[in-house]
Amino acid sequence: MKGKIPVAVQFRAAALATYSFAVLALLLLPVGVVVLASFTRTSYLTIPPKGLTFRWYVEVLGSPSYVRSIVLSLGLALTATAVAILVAVPAAYALARFRVAAANLLVALFLAPLAFPGIVVGVALLQLYSMMNIQPSIGRLLVAHLIITTPFVIRAVLATLRESSVDLEDAARVLGASRWVAFRRVTLPLIRPAIVVGALFAFIASFDNFPVSVFILGARQITLPVKIFSSIEYGVDPSIAAVSTMVIVATGLILVAAERWTGLHRAF
Amino acid sequence: MKPLQASRRKTPAVGLLAPASLLYAGAFCVPVLLLLPASLQLYVPNQGIRPHAYSLENYYRLLSDAYYLEIFGRTLLLGLVVTAITILLAYPIALYLARTRARYRNWLVLLVIYPMMLNLVVRTFGFIALLANHGLVNDALIGIGIIDSPLKLMYNFRGLLIGLTQIYFPFAVLVLIPAIQSVPTEMEEASRTLGGGWFTTFCRVTLPLTANGIATAAALIFLLTESALVAPRLLGGPTYKVAATLIYDQFLVLLNWPLGSAATWILLFTALPIASFFGLAARQWSAR
Repeated sequence: MKGKIPVAVQFRAAALATYSFAVLALLLLPVGVVVLASFTRTSYLTIPPKGLTFRWYVEVLGSPSYVRSIVLSLGLALTATAVAILVAVPAAYALARFRVAAANLLVALFLAPLAFPGIVVGVALLQLYSMMNIQPSIGRLLVAHLIITTPFVIRAVLATLRESSVDLEDAARVLGASRWVAFRRVTLPLIRPAIVVGALFAFIASFDNFPVSVFILGARQITLPVKIFSSIEYGVDPSIAAVSTMVIVATGLILVAAERWTGLHRAF
Repeated sequence: MKPLQASRRKTPAVGLLAPASLLYAGAFCVPVLLLLPASLQLYVPNQGIRPHAYSLENYYRLLSDAYYLEIFGRTLLLGLVVTAITILLAYPIALYLARTRARYRNWLVLLVIYPMMLNLVVRTFGFIALLANHGLVNDALIGIGIIDSPLKLMYNFRGLLIGLTQIYFPFAVLVLIPAIQSVPTEMEEASRTLGGGWFTTFCRVTLPLTANGIATAAALIFLLTESALVAPRLLGGPTYKVAATLIYDQFLVLLNWPLGSAATWILLFTALPIASFFGLAARQWSAR
């Protein structure tokens, strides 16, 4: 079979593949550079690193401000994702299974924050909070992050509900199940993978967020991205590379786990 | 049975939609709309916001002062150039990933998703290590002997262009893959059978059929670039400003919230229409 493919076609395919691999490598270059830089023995950033040390990791994990930021960001992302599931699943279910007035408009609104500039949400909430005299707190940050997380779960669940038929739920209803039982025993298992994928994106979006958080956090709620950002502005040093490497590795592990678990690449 | 069900179906929908609707109304719609009256107020240094006085003063200032005009112009230009380059560079990869039958294809897609999911501050930090005066790129170029003194790759248009193109590149690839996959290969084969070369087939069949995907990707990249804050701030420094860093400074450094609010509306009113224009242009193109 392979012998029958003309040389020109083979050449074009090889060129396309080579180009793709080259660009993928370039795409990952800044990531690799950060990982390398985190092991240097020097007190300034240098690539390739001079020597090999874990000193900067020890420094990050021994720094109360870094640890506080990591814990805060993890807790915030977890809470914002959990609440988003509770808000998003009923909404997506209603939009897919009931006749709702202005349903298209509602869907557009619910998905809007996915493309809407984060900085606008940030300054808008800052202004609202100050008008209502709400002081910086975890709650203030959480409400803002719900606007970041909820659209991801709604999008994922809505897509799955729309392409699956209602027949199974109707069958359960005909056989005497209440609406709640039909939802819990039939619909929920159906949308569980979508909830997982949506929640995963939501979690990462919340954990990574800078443009919303930076406007509304207080001095006692510095999230990790804002902490890394201000460290960079203060002066670049290898401990930033070390904390960045932790984020790089953690994100990689989450993606691999998600791929194994739900086939993440199919979400695109 | 039927009318009964129809009437019963209305009530729970409202209850199911209530939490989400309240959240979006209170934390998204209302605050964004409130930026409009806020942008009409006036901030007097050392005194604060003048009460009960509304005017278009802020908009006039932002749209007449050469300093601000340059920032908005730069943001617009940056958005258009980044969008064009990103689509051009991303299309071949999307084509490859959409068509390849390689066993490791899914892992390659994951390698595109990975940087997209990676923290933006962390990625930008990587660019600083690459592009700084003593960064990897300059060190390598000087080491090989191509240049004598470091290229200026930060705090200017070039640096922002390189950084933003790389940062939003995965979004374009991931939007284009399904668009290319949805082109039936039979249509391309038909074109080839009828004597079209691969290039003709690509330009006359594949490209027009993926016009909507290209437009979606372009609109997304353009919006993201126009409102980008982290990369321009860290790669451009405090002086080489774009719209988002201007807003950032007005709100957090200079405390002139009304001017910042007006700048936010100018950003929205330039970015959103252009982004939706991409979709319109695509419909024209694919209908031809």
